[in-house]
Amino acid sequence: MIKELLVFIRLSKKDKRLGSAQGKRHYDLPLNKNIGTGFLIVLIALMTFLVVIAIITSFALESMTNHWSSGLENKVTIEIPAEKNNGSLRTNDEIKALQNKSEEKLKTLHYIKTTKSLSDLDIQDLLSPWLGKNVSLNNIPLPGLISIDLHTNTPEIIQNLKKEMSNINADIKIDTHEAWLGDLLKLAGALQFAAITIALIITITTVTAIAGSIRTRMAVHSEEVELLHLIGAHDSYITRQLQRHAVIIAFKGSLCGLLAALVTLMLIKLLSGEITEVLLPEFQLNAFHALILIAIPALACLIAAMAARFTVLRTLAIMP
Amino acid sequence: MIKFEHVGLRYGIGSEVLSDIDFTLEPGSFHFLTGLSGAGKTSLMSLMYLGRKPTRGLVTMFGQNINQLKRQQLSSLRQRIGVVFQEFRLLSHLSAFDNVALPLRIEGRAENEIQNNVNELLEWVGLGDHKNRLPMTMSGGQQQRISIARAVIARPKLLLADEPTGNLDNEIGFRLMTLFEQLNRMGTTIVIATHNQAIMENFGHPRLILNNGKLEIERPKNWIQKKIEGVF
Repeated sequence: MIKELLVFIRLSKKDKRLGSAQGKRHYDLPLNKNIGTGFLIVLIALMTFLVVIAIITSFALESMTNHWSSGLENKVTIEIPAEKNNGSLRTNDEIKALQNKSEEKLKTLHYIKTTKSLSDLDIQDLLSPWLGKNVSLNNIPLPGLISIDLHTNTPEIIQNLKKEMSNINADIKIDTHEAWLGDLLKLAGALQFAAITIALIITITTVTAIAGSIRTRMAVHSEEVELLHLIGAHDSYITRQLQRHAVIIAFKGSLCGLLAALVTLMLIKLLSGEITEVLLPEFQLNAFHALILIAIPALACLIAAMAARFTVLRTLAIMP
Repeated sequence: MIKFEHVGLRYGIGSEVLSDIDFTLEPGSFHFLTGLSGAGKTSLMSLMYLGRKPTRGLVTMFGQNINQLKRQQLSSLRQRIGVVFQEFRLLSHLSAFDNVALPLRIEGRAENEIQNNVNELLEWVGLGDHKNRLPMTMSGGQQQRISIARAVIARPKLLLADEPTGNLDNEIGFRLMTLFEQLNRMGTTIVIATHNQAIMENFGHPRLILNNGKLEIERPKNWIQKKIEGVF
């Protein structure tokens, strides 16, 4: 390095004016002087940006589904409907009586961990987003709700629970949350699949763009490539030069894309922080997620190197 | 060293530019390749530096049939051949030094060895003060000397030069021919394609004469006597 620097310093002003080499040899092929290099870096940065967004979306969906399914795994809600099977309404006292009787029974069952009857205040709190906080619920027929935690959730236990509750009253319903949770998990799974598919499509597009760019560079510098070939350069020697060029471009582009994506996500989090807290569980990147994100530039470099290598070897194979 | 047997070459579906070429060059020999313009000198040279494969016939280089060699082996074979191209073919973005150093770098030689050898050779061809200049800032003669230096830097077993003295004045031309002779005495086989009658007569080596795609070998009258006397 010092030696190269000295060579550069020693160059006369005349030499510099005449366009002499700058004492440092980068490539046998003038790849770093190509016009399309900047464009390719921007393209890879954009692709990386989209991939990172898609991957983080996938992580967030995975985290949400885990949160939902684990949060409701052993929870069951007992509902004492306000309306009887024959269509008439129960009084609040009737509902309270059934709720108390059911809770007493539940406490005797060995597979029940905890029970909690929802009071009028709890129900009012639950309904407040739709009806407001100041509405009196005294005259509105509301169901009785008991939230229970099971030690384990098995079909046999649920079956037994249904039987016990129907012995008290045939109208009592048991909600295991399976119906809506299953749909929600399916939706989240589909979105996660879409995010991964998008990331894969973007990766394939990037590989195609890099291969196309390398092929163009090979065509632009065909004379130089042929000269190296005729001087005795092995295919690996020529390939290394183009591979190194592709890796540098991929590293610069992917790093820029990764940083831009992280900044964007931080901004989104800042701007929509309050909304997400209400609607969605908070998502935090764990060590594994961070590792995957850090690996993206390395992966981009690897993909670029492989795409370049394959393209160059195919092109060189035409030469004698 | 080189053996051509019934070699023919055609481009595409055209007629043969080289037809039934038969010759053998012994190791350490020195030949001029001459003929009229368009006779096929450059095509024959390209077959010798393995830039093309013949459309028919058998080419044996360094005792190996080139048709039976793998790509990697062909590249290794090319490293033993130094070529001075008619149009120089220097890499325009590299300095004179880096252009000359290219064959050594391809061979993977150590950087200090490259520095010493290249600097010495550039001094010898009179371009020691121009080693950091780019080819486009140099005259045709200077570029040709860079091209020659690049061809000989790795001490090739076979040196092929296509009109190497074409752009040089007589003094430099004769100096370079002397360099070729020195390399030849050290065991390098040399083939020089030229039109220059003065050089061919002065140095008196056998001539490969191409005429309408056919090859004849002509030896000067006093060639055997000179060879015995050890003139070359």
